[in-house]
Amino acid sequence: MKLPKEIVDVLKIKEPDDLIVYLTTSSVDGKCNIMPSLFTDVYDDEFILIPDLFAVKTKINLNENRVGVVTIAYPSEGKKWALRGPCGHIEWGVPDNYSFQGIRAGDVLKKWGDWEEKEPFASLPEDIRPAVVAQRGVIVLKVAECYTYEPEVSGKK
Amino acid sequence: MAKLTPRMRNWLAGLGAHIGTATKKGFPTVIVVETAKVEGDNIVKFQLSDAQVEQIKQNIEENPRVAIGPGGLGSIRAAYQFKGPARLEGNTLVVEVTEIYCTKPGPEAALRMDVLPYESVIKFETTRWRDTGPPK
Repeated sequence: MKLPKEIVDVLKIKEPDDLIVYLTTSSVDGKCNIMPSLFTDVYDDEFILIPDLFAVKTKINLNENRVGVVTIAYPSEGKKWALRGPCGHIEWGVPDNYSFQGIRAGDVLKKWGDWEEKEPFASLPEDIRPAVVAQRGVIVLKVAECYTYEPEVSGKK
Repeated sequence: MAKLTPRMRNWLAGLGAHIGTATKKGFPTVIVVETAKVEGDNIVKFQLSDAQVEQIKQNIEENPRVAIGPGGLGSIRAAYQFKGPARLEGNTLVVEVTEIYCTKPGPEAALRMDVLPYESVIKFETTRWRDTGPPK
């Protein structure tokens, strides 16, 4: 689905610590993993991009079960969204023409493969800054549905 | 057995959590709860709305394993992930934490903390963070 401008604007790259999201994935037999990220961007108004910075268990899950949920963790006022859909990992080294849900690996890695060029990690406070920057690739979630996590109407699309 | 530290307890109680559930075939659903109550060493209780219960009831029945990340600023400042079986008691989600992981981006991501001696976990925390909970 194409995301409304309101959501795109929130997820687009701005400042390194302006937004925190969680990406939740699951093993094929239902064991969830929840990973925070300070970094997101949007491609073609329907793909959410997150750099892979030691996303160990997320990648294990995505290698066997390609689905994920992005939830806004902070600041969440007026942004209580859960965005769910097919989710994959484009790792450095895959052929340029490898495609995930219509998005081409070469295009993604060329533009987002070195995230620090876009958002300098050095500007982050020391206690939340990655100790080492070793980006292995880009995680891609194609948004298929959006629901609210506002408690009283949680799950409403 | 997993034992939550005072810092973990304070962040969960203060800002709640994002709770990941899934069907037994791995289709995930996330709910967000703004406060939590920690009892004993490793029991975390969340009060859910009717809509939240409806949203995850089937998942919990067929697959009780959940993953929890602290809410709000805790998502990055309290870089922990808690996992374990959950059950619904009315509108209360009761989670028995059996695994604790570090989620700090970088080489410590995915470090399993509940298998470390408790004193080492406290030391790990005090050498990385100055706070003992969310800002008042």
